[in-house]
Amino acid sequence: MPAPAEDPILEVADMHHAFGGLHAVDGCSFAIARGALAAVIGPNGAGKSTMVNVVSGALPSQRGRIRFDGSDITGWVPHRIARRGLIRTFQISREFGGMTVLENLLVTAPDQPGERLWNALFRPALGRRRDRELVSQALEVLDTFELYSLRDEYARTLSGGQKRLLELARAVMAEPKLLLLDEPMAGVNPALIDRLGRHIQRLNAQGITFVLIEHNLEVVERICDHVVVMAVGRTLATGRMAELRRNPEVVTAYLGGGHLERATG
Amino acid sequence: MLLPPIIYEIATLAVFFCIYNVMTWGLNIQFGAAGILNFTYITFMAIGAYVAAVFSLPPQTPGTGVTYVLGLNWPFPLPQVMGGVAAGALGFVVGLVALKRLRSDYLAIVTLAVGSIIYTFVGNFTQLFSGWDGVVGVPEPINNWINLDLNTYEIFYVVVVLAVMLLAWFFTHRLFASPLGRTMRAVREDGDVAEAFGKNTFRIRMLAMVLGCAYAGVAGALLVGYTGAFSPDGWTVGETFVIWAVLLVGGRGNIVGTMLGCFLIVVVFVEGTRFLPTGFLSPNLVATLRNMVIGGLLILTLRFRPEGILPEPRRHFAEIRKGSPEAERAGAS
Repeated sequence: MPAPAEDPILEVADMHHAFGGLHAVDGCSFAIARGALAAVIGPNGAGKSTMVNVVSGALPSQRGRIRFDGSDITGWVPHRIARRGLIRTFQISREFGGMTVLENLLVTAPDQPGERLWNALFRPALGRRRDRELVSQALEVLDTFELYSLRDEYARTLSGGQKRLLELARAVMAEPKLLLLDEPMAGVNPALIDRLGRHIQRLNAQGITFVLIEHNLEVVERICDHVVVMAVGRTLATGRMAELRRNPEVVTAYLGGGHLERATG
Repeated sequence: MLLPPIIYEIATLAVFFCIYNVMTWGLNIQFGAAGILNFTYITFMAIGAYVAAVFSLPPQTPGTGVTYVLGLNWPFPLPQVMGGVAAGALGFVVGLVALKRLRSDYLAIVTLAVGSIIYTFVGNFTQLFSGWDGVVGVPEPINNWINLDLNTYEIFYVVVVLAVMLLAWFFTHRLFASPLGRTMRAVREDGDVAEAFGKNTFRIRMLAMVLGCAYAGVAGALLVGYTGAFSPDGWTVGETFVIWAVLLVGGRGNIVGTMLGCFLIVVVFVEGTRFLPTGFLSPNLVATLRNMVIGGLLILTLRFRPEGILPEPRRHFAEIRKGSPEAERAGAS
């Protein structure tokens, strides 16, 4: 059932994951084209979050293959997958609360030689040199996310909305090829949903592939060019949101039918 | 050289101050930076002390009842280095078991269990470090070359431990200021997220574990060089919590805070109370009151100043903020 995507950056084939007898993901397959702004939707319990956890390596892969950017990443540990360029976020904001906003960005950046023990203790100049680049890069990112004035505040003191923006800003600093966002709009007010949506579109235009796990179908319809529908652990359909609304299988699965028109989260 | 007695008492306090600083900085790396709840930290100090002892002692004399391994007669600073290496190696082994999967509270329970196992093992396996009696007659570092009398050596030893303390301060400072220290704090704040951003959290936590344990080992080696004897009485569970109190009262993640906590708890309450005039208080009462006061101080700190007296410093990047967007805007307008 994988959609015929030319040059796919992410391919999930026949993924399974069971918690004991509960088959949370049960034969899920899809492909995401490089440069896409895609969404994965589906009713609660469809296995979306489990899928994210398996793709990112947080949960072991029990069956099937996952390919990312030319590599078979099935069974890789999370940090290795992340270093390959697949960065995921979590459903709730999980900022590094005891660190400043700027530090939250600095710490996620790759290729910091100062993270090696020897360099940290005996060659601090290496770390400082890389930090200098990272600070100017991070300040620019903070500027675009309108978090610049908060750079030296502890992340835990930010408002819920600011934390959402910080999550995205921090993910950008990790130089991802693909950003897998688990419900980035959850619990966010409409004005901020707009802002987050525009940020995502802007970053997508800069070349980052996006996969959004999202309940807000209006946003999905507005910004996403490709949608994967999951239900009971499987891929039910793929395509554009407008087509999927007319797909009776999707409508039936989604909130017992009929609600698809109005379901916004 | 003969100085007023008060000088020697101050020297004793200074030695303990320096040794406990080294020890608590190690715990500061583990808990303050990387968030590892090591509730058997004192065990690593003890291993350092024992290993340094058996590396600097001559071979055991049969028939004395004191039995221990090695007895290599190595000169300073090799036994002290070996003490640090041994404690770090033990930290690595414990880390392999405890750091791979376990988080905070579970890890804490495992460390307590491991400490208890090692404690009982060292106590009962008398061939290793002379069991419950402990090792005695550990030579004073360097004194076989310089032959100082007891009092002069005391002053000399202050210089030795002060030098080691400065070295430990230097490395702790570099670590805390480095990107590695920052990544350790990220792992402390949220290990899953750090992992999802490409950080090998196991490696990061293991580095903190081994490094912190090595600090404890070196501190233990310096302690046994000073006291000359070491037995399981010297590293009961309660001793671990004195170090925890130093760290938490002083302020976790703060190097100077540790020194402050060390001064308050180790110098004033633990060692300082030894100099209280006996007579109007019985020695047992002083010891008991001391623990109550330390416990009370810890509770007061956690209640009214949970970050400690000197909290973890907020990192600014002032020197590299020139040319920032804000500055450019200000310049342009």
